[in-house]
Amino acid sequence: MNTLLIGFLIGGVFGAILYMGGATSYRRILGTLLLKDMWIIKLMCTAIGVGTLGIYLLDLGGLANLSIKPAYLGGVALGGVIFGIGWAVSGYCPGTCVVGAAEGKFDAIFTLVGGLVGALIFAFMFPTLEAWLIQPFNFGAVTIQELIGINAVYLAVPFSLLLLSMAFLILKDRYE
Amino acid sequence: MKENDAIISWKIAGVALGLLLTLATFLVKPLGVSTQFVVTDAIAVHAVAPAAAESNTYLAKYGVKDEWSIGYGWMLVAGMFAGGLITSRLLRAKQPEADKGSMPPMWAAVFGGSRKKRFVSAFFGGVLLLFGARLAGGCTSGHMISGMSQLALSSFVFGVFTFGAAILAAHILYRKRG
Repeated sequence: MNTLLIGFLIGGVFGAILYMGGATSYRRILGTLLLKDMWIIKLMCTAIGVGTLGIYLLDLGGLANLSIKPAYLGGVALGGVIFGIGWAVSGYCPGTCVVGAAEGKFDAIFTLVGGLVGALIFAFMFPTLEAWLIQPFNFGAVTIQELIGINAVYLAVPFSLLLLSMAFLILKDRYE
Repeated sequence: MKENDAIISWKIAGVALGLLLTLATFLVKPLGVSTQFVVTDAIAVHAVAPAAAESNTYLAKYGVKDEWSIGYGWMLVAGMFAGGLITSRLLRAKQPEADKGSMPPMWAAVFGGSRKKRFVSAFFGGVLLLFGARLAGGCTSGHMISGMSQLALSSFVFGVFTFGAAILAAHILYRKRG
């Protein structure tokens, strides 16, 4: 099957899951960030727990098309901080603002347009940022198991079980 | 808040998302969204001001052909829009009232009902989101969900700093209401 069509179909299911699972919900996102409503974090822990096992098994069979992002610590950390502030202010992330916009939520449409502007500002600042934040402290596209030199199974299985037990057993909603 | 307080529970959504990620990694590559904002920008800049696009080292490589333009990743985001559009039209009746509309009740309770204030905040939040995501090299889907599932060092660093900043920012925004 055509790669473009596969992308569209996978995206379609992704968008449907985000909508139906309440990931475009402002009260759920802010509830998670205020550490009260654990819905979103439980959803993410479950997804990563299942994904870690799935990708580990695929990789074991040599069937995974991995895409490991490079670890340039300064840019990743500062980018994470800026992203986190934007997440708390808008109540969306780049994926959920696309789905929220499709739902017809105007705040999501504003976040989407703001995102296009933010990405453009980054593009024009890229030469400066690259020299200061992307080239230094770059450890390359490395995984944790490569970094500490152990077999992936000793990381993937416990990490997956930890996330799944956080989602199903440990994390509880807190309302006063 | 009850477990069924969305159309499907977090359990079903989480398992489905993990399986979808595995399928995508098998068929093409993992899930990601934020790069496509740059691709969209680059296509627009190449169309209106080709000289400006070519002179920018970041935009020059995007928006022209293959995976750097309308490829798997861009179609995935277009699919997300389509998936959200179709399911939200079909299932609106089942969506909790608190999750409908452009003015979240939780926001209005603290910041008032001004649409302008909410939309300006949403816009600048979006600017920060994509600036941060591009600087870090990914967002919630590419870095956190796909990246952590591949046990990538960079994605764990991203996850720690993103959640740290977002939790702090949310508490500052809602400090008076506890």
